[in-house]
Amino acid sequence: MAESPQTPPLLEMEGIQKRFGGIQALKGVDFDLRQGEVHALVGENGAGKSTLIKILSGAYQPDAGTVRLEGRAVEIADPRQARALGIATIYQETSLYPDLSVLENLFIGHQPRRGWGRLDWAAMRRQAREVFAQLGVELPLTARLGDLGKAYAQLVEIAKALAQHARILVMDEATAALTADDVERLFGIIRGLREQGVAIIYISHRLEEVFRVADRVTVLRDGERVGAEPVAEVDQDWLIRRMVGRELHTLYPRNYRPPGKVLLEVRGLSRAGAFEGVDLEVHEGEIVGLAGLVGSGRSEVARAIFGIDPYDAGTVRLSGQPLPPRPWAAVRKGLALLPEDRSRQGAILAMSVRANMTLAVLPDLQRGGFLDEAKELSISKRFIQALQLRPPNPDLPVANLSGGNQQKVVLGKWLATEPRVLILDEPTQGVDVGAKAEIHQLMDRLVGQGVGILMISSDLPEVLGMTDRLLVMHRGKIVARLPRGSAPDVVMRAATGLLEEAHVR
Amino acid sequence: MYVDRGRQISIAVFLLALAGVLLAAAPSFFSLGNFKDILVNISYVAIAALGMMMVILTGQIDISVGATLSICSTLAATASKAGLPLGVVFLISIGAGAALGLVNGLLVTRFKIHSIIVTLGTLSVFRGTLIYFTKGAWIYQLPEDFRGVGLGTFLGLPNPIWAMAVVLLAGAWVLSATPWGRALYAVGSNPDAARLSGIRVPFVQASVFVACGALVGLATMFYATRFSTIQSNTGQGFEFLVITAVVVGGTNIFGGSGTVLGVALGALLVGVTGTALTFLKISAYWEQALQGLFILLAVAFDALRSRRRTRTGGGG
Amino acid sequence: MKAQPRLRLRLSVAELVLVGALALAILVMAQLSPQFLTVRNLFEVTRFVAEAGLISLGMTAVILTGGIDLSVGSILGLSAIITGVFFHAGWNVWLAALTGILAGTLAGALNGLIITRAGIPPLIVTLATLAIYRGLALGISQGQAYRDYPEGFYSLGQGYLGPVPVQLIVFALFSLVFVLLLGRTVFGRTLYAIGNNETAARFSGLPVDRVKLIIYSLSGMLSGLAGVIFVSRLSTAKADAGLGYELDAITAVVLGGTAISGGQGGIWGTLLGLFIVGIVRNGMTLAFINADVQLVFIGLILIAAVTLNQVLRRGRR
Repeated sequence: MAESPQTPPLLEMEGIQKRFGGIQALKGVDFDLRQGEVHALVGENGAGKSTLIKILSGAYQPDAGTVRLEGRAVEIADPRQARALGIATIYQETSLYPDLSVLENLFIGHQPRRGWGRLDWAAMRRQAREVFAQLGVELPLTARLGDLGKAYAQLVEIAKALAQHARILVMDEATAALTADDVERLFGIIRGLREQGVAIIYISHRLEEVFRVADRVTVLRDGERVGAEPVAEVDQDWLIRRMVGRELHTLYPRNYRPPGKVLLEVRGLSRAGAFEGVDLEVHEGEIVGLAGLVGSGRSEVARAIFGIDPYDAGTVRLSGQPLPPRPWAAVRKGLALLPEDRSRQGAILAMSVRANMTLAVLPDLQRGGFLDEAKELSISKRFIQALQLRPPNPDLPVANLSGGNQQKVVLGKWLATEPRVLILDEPTQGVDVGAKAEIHQLMDRLVGQGVGILMISSDLPEVLGMTDRLLVMHRGKIVARLPRGSAPDVVMRAATGLLEEAHVR
Repeated sequence: MYVDRGRQISIAVFLLALAGVLLAAAPSFFSLGNFKDILVNISYVAIAALGMMMVILTGQIDISVGATLSICSTLAATASKAGLPLGVVFLISIGAGAALGLVNGLLVTRFKIHSIIVTLGTLSVFRGTLIYFTKGAWIYQLPEDFRGVGLGTFLGLPNPIWAMAVVLLAGAWVLSATPWGRALYAVGSNPDAARLSGIRVPFVQASVFVACGALVGLATMFYATRFSTIQSNTGQGFEFLVITAVVVGGTNIFGGSGTVLGVALGALLVGVTGTALTFLKISAYWEQALQGLFILLAVAFDALRSRRRTRTGGGG
Repeated sequence: MKAQPRLRLRLSVAELVLVGALALAILVMAQLSPQFLTVRNLFEVTRFVAEAGLISLGMTAVILTGGIDLSVGSILGLSAIITGVFFHAGWNVWLAALTGILAGTLAGALNGLIITRAGIPPLIVTLATLAIYRGLALGISQGQAYRDYPEGFYSLGQGYLGPVPVQLIVFALFSLVFVLLLGRTVFGRTLYAIGNNETAARFSGLPVDRVKLIIYSLSGMLSGLAGVIFVSRLSTAKADAGLGYELDAITAVVLGGTAISGGQGGIWGTLLGLFIVGIVRNGMTLAFINADVQLVFIGLILIAAVTLNQVLRRGRR
């Protein structure tokens, strides 16, 4: 357990600053970690948690501030150095090799060797057994990692860190992909490691987990530390107040109108392992929010409705007509999806603004067998103007635009189809403040014209401020249906699983 | 070490089924002599396929191996005719292969050009240069000791079979028991993670081309020595044979997984189907079509299997 | 870099490099042989370019989607044999030729079906069908050559229209069609979208699988047409027709600046690539430099052009 306050903490980070372009991600953050403690780091998306962690793991260099290990100032130039210092970050599978065995994943790059450059498999197996004994689990060492579940991948990541004698373990959203049983097991392992003197930084959106596993908690908001207390001395309300912070005010321009007839109707939509029994409607002239944590199944539902991903059961109707699970059919019938990953799923970065903006209406641009370039230009010019794209140049490759303007191009692509229902998945993620406000105004204008919008956002103030009503997902199910003006802590409780079965109509 | 048994089992099942058909239709297939012939015929393919497998494991490909085979054949035969001792001839063939592989490897890693393009170019350059120097002339009257490498026997088994066995076993050992061998899998499976693990990715990527070239050079010694002449256009289409053995043997074309046993079975499948068709009195003219079909079926079976295993996911 | 190609006279850096190389090649060849710069000879160059050229048009489209088609040479051989077999079975020669082209189209469609349905990488699928289609040609013909076509049939591969070889006209026609198809139509735009970002293309509701299927069918059809011209030019149909053409076609496409990963490049580049290869071959032949040295030069030009391109692109970053 925690040692006496006299000895220096295992890790101290002091006055850490980091700026990305125009955004000050960290404004002088302090953080400390003692040996044998589990220290939770919480905050909304964009609060600066991951930036802080990336500095600790050597992926980023801070602009200012110092990092001390056992009282000694250190510079962490790259991820390898971080590991040499005993700092290990459990990424979400990204540092594992799906094609290799469990045993190899533990040791690749630093395998024990015998003479003649041979690998010492016996030593590897012995060390692996030791590490797994330390964790109190048994894993098939020769199994292909990709064949095991995500929970095992997580265990392998932890075991890999231990095999490299990590003293500080950073767990970033470690439970996001785990089932309830796996989470229990993970907590057992975390407690065991704490007993053995390993210090753990635990990052999670799920507040109930913080209370179950952490000794101390630090709250970040907008790149600043706004609280650091022993977990025993705080409660959830305190945490949520600190996290949400600012009041929700007229930042969000909404003119509420009575909603019209049903446009989108989803009944009992299910896919094994992703989401289950999802019912939802979107009416004319309303914005319906779909809130929940990353991994709760929101984007999966959106993609299934649009027909990109298959579903096992359920129906999707648009204006009363059944919608086949094919994207082109969805587009034809007036459904549009702005996907969450802008550069991979949304825009074709190497192509021009005009080509991107007309991708979804290509069949309409057919004229005598050829692409009607005049019409293409007029469509793109119309939306460049309507969305105030900067610079307003239709021939520029999308890659040359800022994040906010790239998002406007993707929006323009969908507006060109004159959709009746628009699904927006994280429409303002990675978008600067100005463009964010413009996108919000546009959303209000669209629903004013009778469009229905289903909005997914991890930004709680945004989703509360912009929507007419709110559905909250947790582990693939809609767990709460909340009216406009619901309190953020109610949403947060539902999303973190503290408000199961509370269907407020 | 993880082993993809599925593909190996499907090849084994296929071979057994074929054996059943042969047992009924052409029992003469099952003679020791015929088995030896089959193994001798696939020996040089299997040795080169080991090299190709190393290249493909890292997510690349080498289509210049046929040209490499033909250069090594010519150099080895010329050296032997000049009276050089057999050991030196071996070194020349392997060294020449390794050098040509180094050219490929450096072009791929230094200029970051896709390996398909690089080896497509060097395929032409290698072959053209060779024919320029040989003027297309064939090499006749090869020395006895040279031809003895391919035609001789040791303990009752033809030399090429011994060579194949030793090389494949050594290859399996290198791939499973050395850091370099494991690095090939890591680089092909997840290049970013490999870099973070401290693996020198460009070095590994270049080195597999050298290894592949050297193995083609070695394969040459059990290929060129079996004929009475060396034609200057020898080894045309060799790359397809070798890539086929590797891919049919279950090595993932995008890198990261594959086994030496799979390569051996892949080479065996290529060799057995050819011979079996002859024994079944199916015209040799149909052989290539049926072989292609077998390959497609083996790969399609595997693709459908792994498709079930991985589904698109991600997001929140 | 502009991604959408159009009928434009402004050339990209990569194409300027190629135009430079082409000019250099013409100058060097003119020095090597006095016959080189004659109208008659320049037309002769195109006679050889036509077959590989037709295949390269389809290959350009395939590579633009991020795929590859190794089976084109085999499809050429299969179509040649089908043409010969049906003619010798008593069919009208043009009907037989049409059947050959149809067989090529079907072979290409089969490639496309396996690639889109089973989700096997194009490299592997077409590596297997390379063997299958060549094997079918061998099996059907039993190694036999089909000769003795009516005189009229030879006009396609050996005749002239004025001073212009007939197959050049055919090739020019198809080139124009492909320039328009890739650069000026909705289909072409879809193709570039797939090659640049297949996921985003799917998320935009574009019919990705259907477009791929059509592309591979077109590649098969053009290989089939090249097979018919091949028979007409050499007066004979043999199963080994078009052996290794896949490498020639890929060389022309890649030399022409089309990215092997898809999405970037186009027909103009491929045409430049084709003519560089054709001129180097023809000029050197006239100068009595044998085919092998020509091969070395083509390989070197390919590597040099791609390397130069890569260096220039990196310099701009």
